Amino acid sequence: MFRLQGSKVLAVDMTGDAVKAKNGSMVAYDGQMAFKKLSGGGEGIRGMVTRRITGEQMTLMEVRGQGTCWFADRASEINLVDLRGDKLFVESSNLLATDAGLRTGTSFTGLRGASQGNGLFTTTVEGHGQAAIMSDGPAVALRVGTQYPLTVDPGAYIAHQGDLRQSFQSGVTFRTYLGEGGGEAFQIRFEGDGVVYVQPSERNSIAGDV
Amino acid sequence: MTTHPGSGPVGPLVHDPATLPADDNVNAYTFCVELKGSEWFLQKGKMIAYYGSMEFNGIGHGRLDRLVRTSFHSPLHASDWVVASGSGKMLLADRAFEVNSFDLEEGNLTIRSGNLLAFQPSLSLKQSIVPGFLTLIGTGKFVAASNGPVVFMEPPIRVDPQALVGWADCPSPCHHYDHGYMTGLMGGLRAMTGLGGASGEEHQFEFVGAGTVLLQSTETLMAEQATGAVPNEPGVPGGGGTPVHPGQPGGAPRLPGQLGDLQRRFGL
Repeated sequence: MFRLQGSKVLAVDMTGDAVKAKNGSMVAYDGQMAFKKLSGGGEGIRGMVTRRITGEQMTLMEVRGQGTCWFADRASEINLVDLRGDKLFVESSNLLATDAGLRTGTSFTGLRGASQGNGLFTTTVEGHGQAAIMSDGPAVALRVGTQYPLTVDPGAYIAHQGDLRQSFQSGVTFRTYLGEGGGEAFQIRFEGDGVVYVQPSERNSIAGDV
Repeated sequence: MTTHPGSGPVGPLVHDPATLPADDNVNAYTFCVELKGSEWFLQKGKMIAYYGSMEFNGIGHGRLDRLVRTSFHSPLHASDWVVASGSGKMLLADRAFEVNSFDLEEGNLTIRSGNLLAFQPSLSLKQSIVPGFLTLIGTGKFVAASNGPVVFMEPPIRVDPQALVGWADCPSPCHHYDHGYMTGLMGGLRAMTGLGGASGEEHQFEFVGAGTVLLQSTETLMAEQATGAVPNEPGVPGGGGTPVHPGQPGGAPRLPGQLGDLQRRFGL
């Protein structure tokens, strides 16, 4: 059972079950815990090779035991996400912990990844359970419906879940080259049905400068 | 157990266009602007997401000439600002700093240029005489970022230069140096080198007169925005024009807050 203690520490109560968490993110525990490094994020040989090739590397550990374990990473804000059979797309660097029952994998993101400086691949989490994602400043969850598509800045995007299509929008015109660009030259448009998480801060990306 | 808004134990609060506030904070770090065919000025790159259809245009965009003429009077900042127009709801944020909106009614407010995020075109933006600051005049709403919550103080007050965010309704801003810092050879050496007991608080900004002074609750400055140069004219502070004092060497303009040169201090 995941719960937040403050906004920057994740507490997980365990009764013999396990969670997957970012390697080295445990800050304290109470009770009996065993920590085991999961090579390749517990995705098997194929997953390991995929991650190595795609550069979407992630070192996870499996924590199993009785009691409470606290996780935190560089004072990032932590946000809990409930998954009910749907798929969460998140950058591996923003993923803190997931229930052990959730499957993780990699997926191709196309131009969105390139525009936010994160590479062309992203991490997926699917199944039933909870996941904890990190953001710089508390994330805002925005629902996307068929009536109301959402456009986000690639630098502020951290994760999305549900059945969403994303398209890449470029506002680069001749004005951009004259130094009179609108400042929001690259945007990602989400359509469909789901939730998008954005953080109140922009990563440095090529999109931030034009 | 304490949780911040937006993340209860059952998962975060999910916003949609109907639940997002209009021209108000979503949380301490994110501000939502509602556009209904209207326009807002915002600093480049501070939009993080929007619903609806919007356009972001540089100040130089021809269609915006009239708007820029009436509410944007600092041509040297033009490349840092864009105009958002359209309809929908837009979220603004800045490097996970706290953001707050303020209302001005036939008023004026001067703010450090890096702290101002966005403003309504009913306000007009001008470059302050004080270098590095911008002045907003008129009626309307603006959004400012600060490192930690903003504190409002009444003059007379002396404040730390790094904690100053801005001031409203025209109290007079001036420098204040503690007397011991200014006198004698040892005082001069202490001030120049920081050795021998400078507390780091000898220099303050002093405000007197009617108005309000805005402070942030840390001394960590936000990154300065380029403020542009001021016209090269005599009598313009920082303008690098004809030196006001004939005795003062030309070349580098005197920076605000800078003490006299070593030679002058020691009477050489």
